[in-house]
Parts: sequence; C-alpha cells; structure tokens
Amino acid sequence: MAALAGLSMTVERGEVFGFLGPNGSGKTTAVKLLLGLVRPSGGEAMVLGAPAGDRETRRQIGYLPELFRYQSWLNAREVLVLHCRLLRMPRARWQPAADEALHVVGLDGRGDDKVGTFSKGMQQRLGLGVALLGEPALVVLDEPTSALDPVGRHDVRTIIRGLRDSGVTVFLNTHLLEEAENVCDRVMVISKGRSLATGTLAELKGLRQNVRLRVTGLPAGWWEPLTSFGRWNAAGDWLSVEDMNAGQVPDLVAAIVALGGRVEAVVPEQQSLEERFLELLGETREGA
Amino acid sequence: MSTALIIATLTMREAVRRRLVAALAVITLGMVALSSWGFYKLSHSSSLTSGEKGLALPESFILFMFMFSFVVALSASAIASPAVSGEIDSGVLQTVLARPVRRGEVLLGKWLGLAALLAAYTAAVTGLQVAIVYLVSGYAPPNPAAAAALMFGEGTVLLTLVLLLSTRLSALAAGVVGVALFGAAWLVGVAGTLGVAFRVHSLHTAAVISQYLLPTNGLWNGAIYYLEPSSFITQAAAGSPSTEGPFFASAGPSWQYLTWAVIWLLLVGILGLVSLERREL
Repeated sequence: MAALAGLSMTVERGEVFGFLGPNGSGKTTAVKLLLGLVRPSGGEAMVLGAPAGDRETRRQIGYLPELFRYQSWLNAREVLVLHCRLLRMPRARWQPAADEALHVVGLDGRGDDKVGTFSKGMQQRLGLGVALLGEPALVVLDEPTSALDPVGRHDVRTIIRGLRDSGVTVFLNTHLLEEAENVCDRVMVISKGRSLATGTLAELKGLRQNVRLRVTGLPAGWWEPLTSFGRWNAAGDWLSVEDMNAGQVPDLVAAIVALGGRVEAVVPEQQSLEERFLELLGETREGA
Repeated sequence: MSTALIIATLTMREAVRRRLVAALAVITLGMVALSSWGFYKLSHSSSLTSGEKGLALPESFILFMFMFSFVVALSASAIASPAVSGEIDSGVLQTVLARPVRRGEVLLGKWLGLAALLAAYTAAVTGLQVAIVYLVSGYAPPNPAAAAALMFGEGTVLLTLVLLLSTRLSALAAGVVGVALFGAAWLVGVAGTLGVAFRVHSLHTAAVISQYLLPTNGLWNGAIYYLEPSSFITQAAAGSPSTEGPFFASAGPSWQYLTWAVIWLLLVGILGLVSLERREL
C-alpha cells in the first residue's frame, strides 16, 4: 500500500509552510522522502533545486524529527558540535555555533549536561537547536512542539517567525491547528497520503462562510432574487445566509440595497480552521 | 576529518562513556589475577614432573586464551548488535543520516570504531596474560603477537557479521543469531577434530566447509598454533595422543585461508553497506 499517493505541492522559498493532517496521514513519510531517509516507489520531488535526498543539498537543511533522540551519553554541547562536524563547518565555528544554538532554544547553562538527564521538552529544544545549525536555507520541523509546555510552544513559534524574517523556509509538520494558524503562511491539509486542500489560511478557511445581516425595509418576497447566494434564514430583523461563497458578500449587500433594504449590520461568521479541517476530513471519509 | 572517522571516534567514545571499557577492564583484570594464581600453583607444584609441567602450562595457557577469545567474540557481537538497528529504533541514526553524509560512511565508521576497540582489547589482554604467566611461571608461548592478531581477526569476523545482521534485524535478534552461529562454527570445528580422530571423513569435511562459511573457528585454530610450543607439533607428528583434541592445531593458517578471511570480511561488509543503503528509515 502506498503511504502517499497523488501528493503534489510547491513550497516557496522563505515561507512557513504548514503540512497539516491527522495522525497516520503520511506527514512524516513525506518529510522523510524530502530528506532521503525513505525512497519513493514513484514520483518526483525537488528540494532547494536538487532531487529530494541529494546529499550535498542536505547541508542546507535542518531537521527536527518527530522521534527526536540524541546520543544520551553526550552532553548537549557535544551533540551540537557533532552535527557541526557532520556539516563540515570550520572548527573555529563549532563552539560559537553550539553556544548560539543553545541560547536560541533556551538551553543556556545546560550545555554541559548529559542529554540523558534532559526532560523530553529539553531534548526537543536541543533537537531544534541541532536543526538550526549551519545557517540552513530550509528547516524541516516534524511536530516540533509535541513535548513542550505552553511556554516552550510560544518560544518555538517565536523561533519559527524569526526564521521566516531571516528568509529561511520552514516546513512545519503538525496536527496542531492552533500552531498552523499562528505561524504558517500557507498550509496543505492531507489525509491518507492525499492532499485535500492547499492555500493560505484565509483561503482555506474562507472559501465558504455564513453571514449574518441586520436589514430593515425589505419588500415582501425579497428572498426570491437572493436565493442563489445560499440558504436563508430569518429571525426578526436578523437574516442569515449559510454556506455562501465568501467573495460574494459585497454582491449580496448590493443586491439587498437594490431591493430597497437598509443594511445596518453585516457579520461574517468565518469558519475556524478546526471546523474547516474537520469538514475536509469528513468529506474524505464520506468519499472513501 | 572524514565522516567515517568522526563516527569511529564517536563509537569509541560511546564505549568509554557507557562504561563498557571500564567493565571489561575490571572483569579481565579479575580473570588475569585468577589465572596468575593458577599458573603459580601449577608451575610450583611438587607433584608434577617437569615433563608434565611442560604439557600442563601451555595447555592451560591455551585454555585461558580460549576463554579470552570467547570474550572478544561475544563482546564483538554484543557491541555490534545494537549499533545500527538499536539506533534506528531510537531515532538517533536518522538525525545523523539527515546530514550530508553517506550511509556507507556511517556504517564504515561504526565498524572502524568497534574494530579498534576489539584490537585494543585483544592486544591488552594478550599482553597482560603473557606477562603475568611469564612472571609467575617462566612460561611464554612462542608467538603471542600472531595469536592475538588471529584472535582479533576472529572477533572482527563476528563483528562484521553482526553489523550486517543489525542493518535488518533487531538488536536482540542480531546478537542472538551472531552468537549462535559463532557457537555452531566452534562446535562443528570440534566435531571435525573428532572426525579426524575416529576417521569419520564427513565430519572433517563439514568442519572444513564451516571454516570457510564463517571463519571464526578457523582463525582461532590458527591462534592455537601460535600459542603451542614446538614440542606439541613434534609429539603429535610422532603420534602422541596427549596433544590431540580441540585445543591443538597441527599447522598455522595458510595464506590462502587468511586471504579468504579478508575476502569474506569484504563481502559481508559490502553486503552490510548495500543492506543499510536500501533500508527505509
């Protein structure tokens, strides 16, 4: 059985791209394909202008795996130095780069402690530090806050925004919608190895929406010319249109005004990402 | 420094940090101390003739070295079995292989690091044992350096095999299979000496074949040859039964056999590289 099928995506340089999907949807497999840890049975992927898994290109990629484990018998600084060496950084840069990474991920003062004594959250911070070494052009983070407390999550999001500000592309695997909403420029929702939707969060959330309006002065039989906008409900002065195309709100207001109505309030009820996410997953379940 | 050397030094550092080196050192010193007591008693015994001592001291020495060859081989299996699969299961290897490194370089580095540990241990234990026995009894085997080299070869064969197994099997399974094959090869070798003694040629043939399939016992037999005094060889040639058995070798390893052992190591090593290269992580 193919873990991924018909998955096609483009991530622009310098953007934070969220790869969203429920557990077992193929997110980690996709990331491992990009890094050459697993090989595709078919298809094509290019990363930073080279075929996915290209050894030299991996020099420009930082990776925090979902299963983050580092040599427990080394201390944090030694783990970072090991990765500096594997990255072929000049020796003079090893210690400064390790110190900088420790500082960025909030492990100041813990550099000489054995990784085996670290909590899971601290190990995940260390993993993020490892991923940031060597000024990568692309940072791949697989569920980077899975072991972190709220403070840690906030720190990671700040780091991700900082990466974007310095032009680094971030590929963020997550099933945390809040995380995607907080930091991602664009997202793709996948399920069972297939892409369900892709776009900016506004696009993804706002394709269909409900709108509530407070209107007075409408003539009898007003709804007949307006039925094409969506499903109508009326309660006193408040009208609501369900499941309408988000781009049509100005047209709807213009049509009401043309009928002689006075529009006193327009309240768009945008779907939350979670609602949209569940809706997308629901569609695939029904389709399956 | 090349990736292989970075990984090799990392592997050696792991053995030190995880106290493998310290544990081996303590247990080995204990065994050597025990043997020094035994060799002292043997060499100073008034109930043995000098002829009997000339037989008992070398035989005991070979037996002790047999025990150490077992320690070398089992240590090789124990340290190689988690080296790949254990690190894949924990996720440590993925973080290394996501870097601009070849999988082959990482595997070679692990092999180099583990082989260096085996070499250091074999050299240390042989040197220590030879020195202690010489001090307490005045006996010295004819060529302990050659014997140590062959014991190292024996350990390296098992190390390479288990490293190959570790690219596919779990750490536990790789270690168990490695030890079982090592034990089987030794037993078939013993059966071969019985085959010679009782003129059952098929047993002897099976032993020869097994020495080529897994060269651990063949190399250990070579080590025996370099540990036994020349008097053993002449006595055996004269038909003395006292020197026969699994702890006697009538000849050293041929250069053809040593060449085969090197080819075997290369073949199994390449198989390991291909296996890891194709493994999905």
